[in-house]
Amino acid sequence: MEELKDKETVSRETVDTELPLDRNVRLMSPTQMLLRRFFRSKLSIIGLVMVIGLFVFSFLGPLVYTQWGETDLDESGKTEYTTAITTYTVGGVEYTLHQTVEKTMKDNFLAAPSAEHPLGTDNQGYDVLARLMYGGRVSLLVSFMTVILLTVLGVIIGGIAGYFGGAVDNTIMRICDILMCLPGIPILLIISSAMDGWVSLGWVEEGMRIYILMLFLTLISWPGTARLVRGQILSLREQEYMVAAEAMGFSTARKIFKHLVPNVMPQLIVQMSLSLGSMILYEATLSYLNMGIKAPYTAWGSMINIITTDPNILQNYLNVWVPAGACIVIAVLGFNFVGDGLRDALDPKGRR
Amino acid sequence: MAEEILNTPVYDDAALEKEYLDKRKIQIEEDLKKPFDPEVVLEVRHLRKCFPMKKTVTGKVTKELVAVDDISFKLKAGETLGIVGESGCGKTTTGRAILKLHKPTAGQIIFNGKDITHYNSAQMRAIRKEMQIIFQDPYSSLPPRSTVGGILSEPVEVHKIVPKDQVKNYVLELMDKCGLRDYYYERYPHEFSGGQRQRICIARALSVNPKLVICDEPVSALDVSIQAQIINLLKKLQRERNLAYVFISHDLSVVKFISDKIGVMYLGAMMEFGTKEDIFRNPLHPYTKALFSAVPNPDPTAKTERIKLEGDIPSPANPPKGCRFHTRCPYAKEVCKHVPPEYKEYEEGHFAACHLLDGE
Amino acid sequence: MSKMKKSYLTGKEIRAIAKENAKIIKRLEDYKNRKAEESEFLTQMHDDANILEIDDLHTYFFTEQGVVKAVNGVSYSVPKNAVVGVVGESGCGKSVTSMSVMRLIQGPAGQIVDGSIRFKSHDYKRDEKGEPVKDENGNYEMEDKVYDIAKMPISEIHRIRGKQVAMIFQEPMTSLNPVFTIGQQLDEVTFIHIPGATKEMAKAKSEEMLRLVGIIPENVYDAFPHELSGGMRQRVMIAMALAAEPRLIIADEPTTALDVTIQAQILDLLQDIKNKIDGSILLITHDLGVIAEMADFVVVMYAGKVIEQGTVYEIFQNPLHPYTVGLQKSKPTMSLDDGAELYNIPGNVPNAVNMPNHCYFKERCSKCVAKCSGDYPGMIQVSPTHYVACHLYSEEDSNNG
Repeated sequence: MEELKDKETVSRETVDTELPLDRNVRLMSPTQMLLRRFFRSKLSIIGLVMVIGLFVFSFLGPLVYTQWGETDLDESGKTEYTTAITTYTVGGVEYTLHQTVEKTMKDNFLAAPSAEHPLGTDNQGYDVLARLMYGGRVSLLVSFMTVILLTVLGVIIGGIAGYFGGAVDNTIMRICDILMCLPGIPILLIISSAMDGWVSLGWVEEGMRIYILMLFLTLISWPGTARLVRGQILSLREQEYMVAAEAMGFSTARKIFKHLVPNVMPQLIVQMSLSLGSMILYEATLSYLNMGIKAPYTAWGSMINIITTDPNILQNYLNVWVPAGACIVIAVLGFNFVGDGLRDALDPKGRR
Repeated sequence: MAEEILNTPVYDDAALEKEYLDKRKIQIEEDLKKPFDPEVVLEVRHLRKCFPMKKTVTGKVTKELVAVDDISFKLKAGETLGIVGESGCGKTTTGRAILKLHKPTAGQIIFNGKDITHYNSAQMRAIRKEMQIIFQDPYSSLPPRSTVGGILSEPVEVHKIVPKDQVKNYVLELMDKCGLRDYYYERYPHEFSGGQRQRICIARALSVNPKLVICDEPVSALDVSIQAQIINLLKKLQRERNLAYVFISHDLSVVKFISDKIGVMYLGAMMEFGTKEDIFRNPLHPYTKALFSAVPNPDPTAKTERIKLEGDIPSPANPPKGCRFHTRCPYAKEVCKHVPPEYKEYEEGHFAACHLLDGE
Repeated sequence: MSKMKKSYLTGKEIRAIAKENAKIIKRLEDYKNRKAEESEFLTQMHDDANILEIDDLHTYFFTEQGVVKAVNGVSYSVPKNAVVGVVGESGCGKSVTSMSVMRLIQGPAGQIVDGSIRFKSHDYKRDEKGEPVKDENGNYEMEDKVYDIAKMPISEIHRIRGKQVAMIFQEPMTSLNPVFTIGQQLDEVTFIHIPGATKEMAKAKSEEMLRLVGIIPENVYDAFPHELSGGMRQRVMIAMALAAEPRLIIADEPTTALDVTIQAQILDLLQDIKNKIDGSILLITHDLGVIAEMADFVVVMYAGKVIEQGTVYEIFQNPLHPYTVGLQKSKPTMSLDDGAELYNIPGNVPNAVNMPNHCYFKERCSKCVAKCSGDYPGMIQVSPTHYVACHLYSEEDSNNG
């Protein structure tokens, strides 16, 4: 009855527009809606678990698994026995000589998984599990930095192209087209060989190689993000609230940074999580091609690189390289699942 | 300037065309030189807006779409001008060209005694707060990631309407005026219904104390019972603040209810213009008459005889020669096909463009 | 600032809703996809003069934020060769009702929960294999059957959809397939619905239909949809709907997207067609003017329920429900003297979630009485054809007053 009295006191057109009935409708907050949609898909949960798992493994793992560090060699020694069979003929009788050669070495390399080394050791005698953790740190860190750099670059360039349009847009987009034609890996190979020279001249440190290579990778892979941002801004510019902002007389900077960029964020986050996957792959490829981090430090790709030293390892010592491969696969899949999940959650049209 | 306004070929006969063009050119030039009327908030003189359709590689425009063709009117404070017309008639373009959201191709826009046609964007920014716009779609016209409070206080802060510490109170007062409860302040647009959102849009437009508001189909997307609320709200605010409205709509009954003057547009040109009483009591142009008779009557007993318009609305990219309306006009004569009718004052303040009115 | 805070759902509530929804949806989906004998969904009409009877229909949408009772106990019927207009504002369930008749409700969220939709179909008599049966003279035999559409498994719905009930949509721009010509799309209808139709037959039929909707077939038969204007496309849509000679045409806001002068043309066309075809039209619109011009019977809906129904004269000249009255008064008329202020209904169009037990219109109503806080009012018959759901007209009330 209280509402009824309320209604009579105010003039008709200013009458309150919310009724008790409207209050019956309770909505989800935007965050809840996002979480709900994200977690509705099993794949995105799996992806999230994978990604978080890898981070915990790489960054917190070494705090728990303290027996071996990244550069600790297992110097407990290793005795290797080899059998030599020699056949020789003396006086028409054939003799076979079985010889066992005992060879003792300083490093315990290629040890089988044991309590001491849960995943064994590699061909140098490093603990595989510990190296996997420390290698993960490098791989994840490098890819994260690359993606952040790439996104910042993409947002700025794409934002400029999308907002100003015309000749600016045309020029930037043509540069994008050219950059997109460039094959990434061959270019990095060339830069890497050039870098051999720089290293010998002392211009750059060997340890910086992977970071510099990834920087170059950023410089040729921003067009994807820039195109996305440009496309989004072009379509957002046509939205009536942007026309309203124009009609309000807001400055260009305010329009771009307060009204356009926040509305591009969802798509950007999706793009970032998807490109994280591909950056991990790039990093792994570079490390595999021995252009990444150098011994005694390691990354996942370098750990796989061990198989190139000895075909025997590829066949018989799976414990040395398969875990690193699995980590790469898990990371890439995880980031892609999370990216897909986020895209579905953020795209209102994808609602079923 | 006059040449730009007149670049549509209108006649089949070259000599006739030259004579007509010369006459119009002189008239337009005279019009553009007239002094500004100080009582008038907005005056539009021979406004023309073309959009390029085809361009050569070098960027030279080879084909144009004439969205608004030679429109003139005056609007005083506290008055409402209604613009009606069907899709593609250029009514929305007119509204946006007045605010210079589209750069006018030719003509003059005089706002508050100043010719703003050639203002650059910095000059425009300074006077933006005096002219505002309300859109048709209350869903896409509010930024989705700001709260109502944020949406409403941003323009107040940017234009320094009130001191910083009073912004919130000012916004709350404004919300109250527009029929919004104070606790909406922290909510997001997606939580509101269409009518409530349109109230927020109105509050946003009024937050900077404008003198002129362009209402671009503000009620078309709303339900009937909500339409009436919004129309009443607009009328109330107009009384309180002495606002001038340009009310653009395809709905004749709504335009009639809110407007003092009405302009009827067809394919970019003004067909008829006059006070509400003139237009409704004594419609001159056959298109106006047909438009009136096409509105379905919510009374099942009154089966009115319709003036039937045959065919479709021609494409604005390729308007008919002569009178634009002759392809659908039930009374078209031979002259209508060749000579564009002159837009003339038939009664005081009642303009129309039709050959039939000059009849024998 | 007032103490009314945001009333978002909590995470716990959201999970409870999702769990509950999943259970119900599973049951209803299974029911929808089941295999069933024809006898299961054959039924009888309550009144033989009707071709469609909607009886206590409930169509709900199981959303993440709760159950939206979009259609909540709707009953109305469409008599033979009549035009029934359904009017109401957005979200009142008028379209959802018609989509339920076509079984086009988007699953899994949208489900017909309860009620029946009885439809009298007039189709070829078929043998067990589904082939049409011929009589002694070699003509196909026809027979009337009454189906309960709400109980039909989704795999059987082809018996009704398109050939018995056709639909005209609001958006003529997107309702035609852009990669086929108008002729191909029209011919297809004939191929599907007439057994053994030849190419020539289909073309002749299509041209006849185009002529019926006022189009010269030569100009349009080979055209692609994008070459036509909105009004023309809507005409083509109508021709397509007519091609299968349906018994019921559902026109869902057929003129809303069109300009006034084109709307007038389409309305004239529908008027004209109404007399030419042997079928009924269910016209759904929010425009009272369109209803007044077209309909014989009017159903007024509000928040998922029918609040008033009657003949067009009863509804427009003697509207009883305060909502119907308000709706008519809030639209400005074309006459010059309707005062300085428009009549308006306060508040918002409700969203049918968590509806109370009392009358849904109570809070917006200006004629509210004490009784309105009680149960939802039942349908009260005020004349043989006029019904209203409002406490103002209930008998006890008139006895008391």
